[in-house]
Amino acid sequence: MNANQPNFRWGYAIFVLLLLSFLALISVGVLSLFVGVDVESLGGNVALIPVHGVILGTEDSESFFETTTTSTDIVELIEKADKNPGIKAIILEIDSPGGSAVASEEIANAVKKTNKTTVAWIRESGASGAYWVASAADYIVASKVSITGSIGVIASYLEFPGLLERYNVTYQRLVAGKYKDIGSPFKEMTNEEKALFQQSLDAIRDYFVSEVAKNRNLNKKDIDKIANGLFYLGVQAKELGLVDELGSKDETIAYIEKKEGIKAELVEYKKEKGLLELLGEVFSKQSFFVGKGIGSSLLDRQAVSSVSITT
Amino acid sequence: MKHLNLPKEKTFTGPASIWKRIFAFFVDIAIINLIILFPFRNLFKDIIPKSYSFSEAYRFMSTSTNYAGFITSITFVMSVLVILYFYMMEKRMGQTIGKMLMRIFVVSDSKELKAWQMLVRNLVFIPIFPFVLLWVIDPIFMFFTKTNQRLSEILSRTRVVERFSFEQQI
Repeated sequence: MNANQPNFRWGYAIFVLLLLSFLALISVGVLSLFVGVDVESLGGNVALIPVHGVILGTEDSESFFETTTTSTDIVELIEKADKNPGIKAIILEIDSPGGSAVASEEIANAVKKTNKTTVAWIRESGASGAYWVASAADYIVASKVSITGSIGVIASYLEFPGLLERYNVTYQRLVAGKYKDIGSPFKEMTNEEKALFQQSLDAIRDYFVSEVAKNRNLNKKDIDKIANGLFYLGVQAKELGLVDELGSKDETIAYIEKKEGIKAELVEYKKEKGLLELLGEVFSKQSFFVGKGIGSSLLDRQAVSSVSITT
Repeated sequence: MKHLNLPKEKTFTGPASIWKRIFAFFVDIAIINLIILFPFRNLFKDIIPKSYSFSEAYRFMSTSTNYAGFITSITFVMSVLVILYFYMMEKRMGQTIGKMLMRIFVVSDSKELKAWQMLVRNLVFIPIFPFVLLWVIDPIFMFFTKTNQRLSEILSRTRVVERFSFEQQI
């Protein structure tokens, strides 16, 4: 075929683009092997750890519909920053509505365990479980209009026995253990079950309140009064003692520089990504989830008797 | 009336107009950014904190020597890919996609385009000193030479031309 023919020219142009895109992907893959692995050697004396999205325990519980972060990853990053002698302080950059009670507690415990100065910088939102995490830090900075607080526990779920009845579908109850199917969406919850559930929620809330009070050096009774699930704007939270300072990143860095007597140089700690993961991201998050299986993601959400307790 | 058997259309080549060259360049840069260099975005996202503004990211890169070294390596790989795009397209067809759309061509002062000529005319994409000076000098030359040639084109003995045609009226 002649190079002057239009079809050949466009065909060749597409070939060049495809070839170079492929080369770019390979290059990115190779270069990515050096990202994260030597994050310590890349410098920086303040670790910035993003806590974005709903806090979950593991990647398996990741949602297709919302941004999520897992306690497994965050705890690992905190421990990594803690072990690095070059890191003098850790900033938790929080933008999360909360999430799993267990996952939030895991992160909060990891924050408390560190020997470094820890600062929670609440951006858009640091509510519920995310506030639990923030409260574990030595210092909390939030914007005047950040959403914080929302101390409480929720385990609401949809119940649809009426819908099943309408379509002549019956729920055959087969359990060994009186409360084994407590929280099943296919049957109406009894008053006794509700009371038992409420007891558990109250117990979790009580633990949440005492942890926040302990972390913030506040009276448990004072926290108890405001722990009604209501969120507070940063400015209100400051008055209530839920945050230490109103501001943003500059104030966060200024606090660390003053406390540690250093010139802060931030280094972002993120989960190390494998080659496949990085290539997956190239084709956007949607493609990644298509690969993972949209169906399985949806099915996971419909698992029977899976009332999740979130803070 | 007698008709002379002359060709109806005559064509000749002349320097491509500057606006066509600029438009072709921006088309190429857009294509390169969207298709070839797209995967590198994730790489940069991984090493520069998301919360950084442009000026903060610049300060971050310039103050941390280790980061700067790593970012220089990435930029070098990116520039190689960009040069490869121009090399492969222009060497084989004398045109990039932008030039195809604008119907302009790269020609050599000698018979055919040689590899060294392609490399020299694309030196501007190497992101290290002294080649970065070409980012300013190259376009200035284009505006102030009769042939609309960039400095790297003069050095590589190449030029960008377009075909002009007119109907022969007899």
